[in-house]
Amino acid sequence: MDKVYLYDGSFVGLLNLILELIKMNERPYNIKDELYSSSLFETLINFDIPWDDNILKNMRLSFGKYALDVIYYVFLSEENNKELIIYYFVLNALKFHKNIVYRRDLKCVSEALRISQYVIHEGHKMKGFLRFKELENKVLYAEIEPTNDVILLVSDHFKRRLCNEYWIIRDVKRGLLSIYNKKKYIVVLEENFTFSTLILSEEEKEMESLWKVFYKTIGIDARRNDRCRRNFMPKKYWKYILEVEDEL
Amino acid sequence: MELQEKLKILADSAKYDASCSSSGSKRVNNNEVGNTAVSGICHSFSSDGRCISLLKILLTNSCIYDCKYCLNRKSNNVRRAMFTPEEICRITINFYRRNYIEGLFLSSGIIKSPDFTMELLIETILLLRNKYHFNGYIHAKAIPGASELLLKKLGSIVDRLSANVELPTENGLKLLAPNKEGKKVDKIMNYVKDNHSRKFVPAGQSTQMIIGATKESDLDIMSKSSNMYDKYNLKRVFYSAYIPVNKDNLLPNLVTPPLVRENRLYQADWLLRFYNFKVDDLLNESNPNFNVLVDPKTDWALRHLDEFPKEINSCSYYELLKIPGVGVKSAKRIISSRRQFTIELSDLKRMGVVLKRAKYFILCNGKYFTNSAFFKKNFIEANIIIEDREKISINKEQLRLF
Repeated sequence: MDKVYLYDGSFVGLLNLILELIKMNERPYNIKDELYSSSLFETLINFDIPWDDNILKNMRLSFGKYALDVIYYVFLSEENNKELIIYYFVLNALKFHKNIVYRRDLKCVSEALRISQYVIHEGHKMKGFLRFKELENKVLYAEIEPTNDVILLVSDHFKRRLCNEYWIIRDVKRGLLSIYNKKKYIVVLEENFTFSTLILSEEEKEMESLWKVFYKTIGIDARRNDRCRRNFMPKKYWKYILEVEDEL
Repeated sequence: MELQEKLKILADSAKYDASCSSSGSKRVNNNEVGNTAVSGICHSFSSDGRCISLLKILLTNSCIYDCKYCLNRKSNNVRRAMFTPEEICRITINFYRRNYIEGLFLSSGIIKSPDFTMELLIETILLLRNKYHFNGYIHAKAIPGASELLLKKLGSIVDRLSANVELPTENGLKLLAPNKEGKKVDKIMNYVKDNHSRKFVPAGQSTQMIIGATKESDLDIMSKSSNMYDKYNLKRVFYSAYIPVNKDNLLPNLVTPPLVRENRLYQADWLLRFYNFKVDDLLNESNPNFNVLVDPKTDWALRHLDEFPKEINSCSYYELLKIPGVGVKSAKRIISSRRQFTIELSDLKRMGVVLKRAKYFILCNGKYFTNSAFFKKNFIEANIIIEDREKISINKEQLRLF
């Protein structure tokens, strides 16, 4: 049977499991979070691992901040075998230490770097494409549906940028809400909340139509280039981008 | 006039300015509205595929000048409008809070005098900064001919200040923009350069040239750019393919804007700024225009095949930069990786090298990608042009639509 090891779904939990597996000299068939449902020929293993609270600090010292960031971004990705990639990355990092990030000849490293770039880029794109609506009580509300789990990256950005506003960002696909109260934000599961119907502020409609007018006007017809636009602004995001949602 | 109507007129007349970048400034939010991202953020992309980062508008499209190429010239019969400072502030703040934009790009037609227009711009931006506590990105146009005092005031409340040279030579300017003098733009750029600091135009200055409205060659244009980068420490020169908005005997009768040419100029501009190329590496009197078939770097490499193939594992950073298909990022990756291991051809793709292009010009651990007898100009050129053909035909398809 192929052994699939389970972790609690957290980044620290995953790293603790990986270090333990390496200590046991165990090469897992795969590593998955606890919600994983196994397929034929797979056996799920969930065991108590020694927990090191300082694991992030220790890894940062040993592998360098950059390498730790890389595996964190891989962790946020939707990549199918991300846990396994992180496992092999850590395994090799124990040997190469801070030089690990240059070892692009290793598949786990080149893949991890590629995936982390993808996550960072999507987080950056969301900072631009996210659209707030102003609710009646002045709270700003936005819905996003990113491929990767970038709600923390996005929230950090808006915490700095719109520190004097109340805002809520909802990741529709993952059912997550990031709620900010002018001091800090928390990310919670949507199922713990009941939403009454959202009522928009009086100014909202006017501003939305002004923005749409601006958007339509600013494009130069003689240079029209739909392919280029789609490259920069993929259609998968359009549903939540006010000025192009009508074009879908 | 309704606000929506005004916005339509004043965005429409601002859209030919190519610059929309919001990078290079580090404003930290001190309990106000907004901050800036050093890398800049694109919030949307318009139907022409250009990034929308800033609310790009004119204060007014009324103008006392009569520049031939400009939609807003005095002699044109177009609807005129003017924003009040309050209106601009209200739209900017509301767009910003909803995350439509990174900030404001404010320019204006000239009304009454350059000084008068500058004062209006300053009044508007001061209102936005002080009353509305806006701390996001602001790019303002400096009006040539306005006093130094006003330039100082405006520069201390914006992130970027720019003045457009519009045309690469003084002759072109005399012909098409008789009210403008290159000297006045130079004066602005000089002033901004001399006073540049964290408090004065922190994101630096940029400028724009119109491509294809006059007869200047690519060599004229690139020489002007290079000269300005050196002299004024510009962050960017933008190139804007001339789009015929007016009919005039002095203007060329273009059917389509010269987009391929514009693209070549941008590619060459990057080579100047990041790849250590000089204008005379790329162009000279007997060869004053870029090859439309291949990009400037490949064109250069094909003319200097004696410097190739370069060994990836040993050539210097600057030599790596000269290889078509190798960019700044991939060159840096190669340098840091090859300290760890010997790079093989199969590793290069993972480093972001465009192998399709680079393979003709490199050796990897002593090996050429194919029989080294094929390392000949004719072979390489033919292959590259064929490989690019698909792309070119798509571009042509798009141009034919107009």
